Amino acid sequence: MKGLAAIVQHSSSRGALSALLFTLACLGFFWLNGHQPVALFREMVLGAFGDGYALSETLVKATPILFCALAVALPARLGLISVGGDGQLYFGALTGTAVILALGDLSAPVMLPLMLLGAAAGGALWGALAGALRARIEVNETISTLLLNYIAVLLVDYAVHGPWKDQSNLGWPATSPFPAGAILPTFFDTRVHLGLLLAVIAAVLLYIFASRSRWGLGLTLLRSNQRVGRGAGINYPLNVLLVMGIGGALAGLAGIAEASVIQGRLQGGLSAGYGISGFLVAWLAGQKFLLIIPLAVLMGGLQASADSLQLFAQMPSSSAVILQGILFAIVLAVGGRWRERMVP
Amino acid sequence: MPPTSSRVELRRLSKRFGTVQACAGVDLHLGAGEVVALLGENGAGKSTLMKLLYGVYPPDSGDILIDGRPVIVDSPRRARALGIGMVFQQFSLIPALSVRENLMLAYPGAPWWQGSSAGAWSRVLQRLETLAPEVHPNSKVAELAVGQRQQIELIKVLNLDASIVILDEPTSVLTPQEAERLWGMVRQLADSGHTLVFITHKMEDVMACTDRVAVMRNGQVVEECRVADTTEQALVTRMMGGSLSEDGLRIDSPRPRAHRVWMKNISATRQGEHIRGIDLKLMPGEILGIAGVSGNGQHLFADAMAGLVPLTEGELIIDGEVVVGPKMRPAIAGRLGYIPEQPAVNAVAGDLDLTINAALGRFKALALFPDWDAERKRTEELINAFNVRPPDPALAVGQLSGGNLQKLVVGRELATPRELIIACYPTMGLDAGAAQAIYQALFKQVSAGACMLWISEDLDDLLQYAHRIAVLHAGEIVGVIEAKQADRYSLGTWMTGGVSSSQSIAETAALDP
Ligand SMILES: Nc1ncnc2c1ncn2[C@@H]1O[C@H](COP(=O)(O)OP(=O)(O)OP(=O)(O)O)[C@@H](O)[C@H]1O
Ligand SMILES: [Mg+2]
Repeated sequence: MKGLAAIVQHSSSRGALSALLFTLACLGFFWLNGHQPVALFREMVLGAFGDGYALSETLVKATPILFCALAVALPARLGLISVGGDGQLYFGALTGTAVILALGDLSAPVMLPLMLLGAAAGGALWGALAGALRARIEVNETISTLLLNYIAVLLVDYAVHGPWKDQSNLGWPATSPFPAGAILPTFFDTRVHLGLLLAVIAAVLLYIFASRSRWGLGLTLLRSNQRVGRGAGINYPLNVLLVMGIGGALAGLAGIAEASVIQGRLQGGLSAGYGISGFLVAWLAGQKFLLIIPLAVLMGGLQASADSLQLFAQMPSSSAVILQGILFAIVLAVGGRWRERMVP
Repeated sequence: MPPTSSRVELRRLSKRFGTVQACAGVDLHLGAGEVVALLGENGAGKSTLMKLLYGVYPPDSGDILIDGRPVIVDSPRRARALGIGMVFQQFSLIPALSVRENLMLAYPGAPWWQGSSAGAWSRVLQRLETLAPEVHPNSKVAELAVGQRQQIELIKVLNLDASIVILDEPTSVLTPQEAERLWGMVRQLADSGHTLVFITHKMEDVMACTDRVAVMRNGQVVEECRVADTTEQALVTRMMGGSLSEDGLRIDSPRPRAHRVWMKNISATRQGEHIRGIDLKLMPGEILGIAGVSGNGQHLFADAMAGLVPLTEGELIIDGEVVVGPKMRPAIAGRLGYIPEQPAVNAVAGDLDLTINAALGRFKALALFPDWDAERKRTEELINAFNVRPPDPALAVGQLSGGNLQKLVVGRELATPRELIIACYPTMGLDAGAAQAIYQALFKQVSAGACMLWISEDLDDLLQYAHRIAVLHAGEIVGVIEAKQADRYSLGTWMTGGVSSSQSIAETAALDP
């Protein structure tokens, strides 16, 4: 038992242990459902990474997860636990769409930067709102981001049921399709889009700034000992706003990218739980920005493989959500000590 | 040398942390009813040895015998069951709880439902009334001064009915009166058969209340002798391996020029503690001592001047420029050297390494992408200058011994020329050699023109080194006096707020320029 505890304390072996337990849990889950566990597990892996198409769909799912994971990991640098990825994603999609609707039919080189900026600004606002509550009146950021999620989802619902509803949709609550200039470029004839590139660049930049720069050092310091950080002249409230705002901006980009490329317009059901998946990825990666990239791809694979589960085993597509829930529980159980490191 | 009836016997105890051999085969006997002083330089391994006995760390090798029987002390809980209690160098009280709650939490006989038994409460509070009557059981620990926290820690341990009591540098922040009371208590415990270990750097502790001395160096006990058979002078020489020089310990008079630092009508509030209308001016090169019984607002004052507590009124002006004031971001970083009380929590980020912590003194001056190689070099220089051990810039600061951490903080705060220095107990927990080095560093800055605010309860230090002494009582300056004209007795009465004397201070203050 002592040996196990020692292994569990080491974070990389914690990852390995989580992965092992998760594989076993998957096999058990399939078996309970009356399937050949190993064969189905193989199908699942192939469904995520088996061929070019499967891989591209995995990357499509990985993109918003990666954005949302960054939106969790950056505040965690300051010891803040944000669960607001989804809310920021929705609000970013809302403001990005507002830009599109306001500008109408423009050429892509003009439209795309403005649309992305609009979405980033909206997401940033949504994140910074929770940040301001935390910095000014010490409202717990986990609770405020959670509640802001509901508000953002409902705001999008309101917009697509009400003022922005396209009447030609015959009652289907959605805006009219985005003009061609507002669709992000995609690569290699797949749905993999510019958003993935932006997310990876963001992850690398965050890594460089957080681990090398004076600003990143300031965050680490504030998290380790706020009093000492403030004594060194670092502005705590400002940094809370910054990390929540930048994180929110990234999640907002995920939102507009989903609306633009995947849906082609703004409608409800924009996020398939990407915020929570991103949260899980960030914690799995121990809040390390570079490690988040491959883990987001794996998590994207898990979601993409839901289709193959449906196809080969007639299992409902919500199986992926169940598996994700199991993974979450395992990670929390194995990494029970992570919380200590997250909290200032 | 070991007494015939050993209560505790440590046999060849060893403990290594990474590359540091903190204890290297230590043999030590503790007799019943005996007080053993454990001496040695910073980082000699005193705290570690006692933590092995108290079960904080497992020893790498060696045995612990109690009453002649070998025991395995694998946790502090086990140690308490064996009758061992320890007061740590760093405090372990919960600041957000009241004194009574802290005591009850640590009390083994605490009832499961606390409201129901007044008996338990009164038992827990009994020692508080006799040992620290001025501490109100309902006050929050966060509001207490270090000296008072020290007393609560000791009461906590005594409440365990421990028969073997370890005190790790208990007097480093006590006033002479508080220390005297502690010595009395220690003697009383020993006479009733308790065994005590008293870790200290102060010779007066040794002479006042201990029976035997064990000196540690580099993880080993190198000397043992009875206190009755030695003299203070001989002990100092034994510890230091040579006598101290007084070089660099003289300070010039301040330059009689215009004021450099003006603390103008300062008021601030924190958690029910107040300071009101403090107005002090310092000339370049002047040392102003702030005397006062702990808990009278000294630390709030220091934190307020460091820009860590918002001012409700007043401003700090340096060279004509307002650097701290109400409703402004403090512009004090870089100009102020601040050595706060309890530097382990208030001055460093314990889980970050020495290099980062050393760079904090000039954080604002770092490049956007700091050159860590250069920072490491600077840290190495600082480590050498102040003899911080182990000299490893990559070590987490939390792993330094108490005294070495203090050296690092002082070194950092004095690494660049400062305009104002605020020092609370700057030599707390330091061996005599290290204390000397720190005085020298402080006075060097002062003679270069820095103003220094020296917060201390040690009147001897203030009388010897300060130019003027201000007395703080209940959050207000009751008077300022030239150190040459002051004496222990009158300062002492002013500190306790005697009515007649505060009048005489007012007169003195009126004479003051
Ligand atoms: N938890 C730890 N991890 C790593 N090194 C440690 C740890 N605790 C102590 N050390 C090292 O062991 C050595 C002895 O430390 P210890 O705290 O016992 O010294 P000390 O004699 O109590 O000194 P001081 O008078 O400064 O309190 C020091 O070099 C210290 O850095
Ligand atoms: Mg020590």
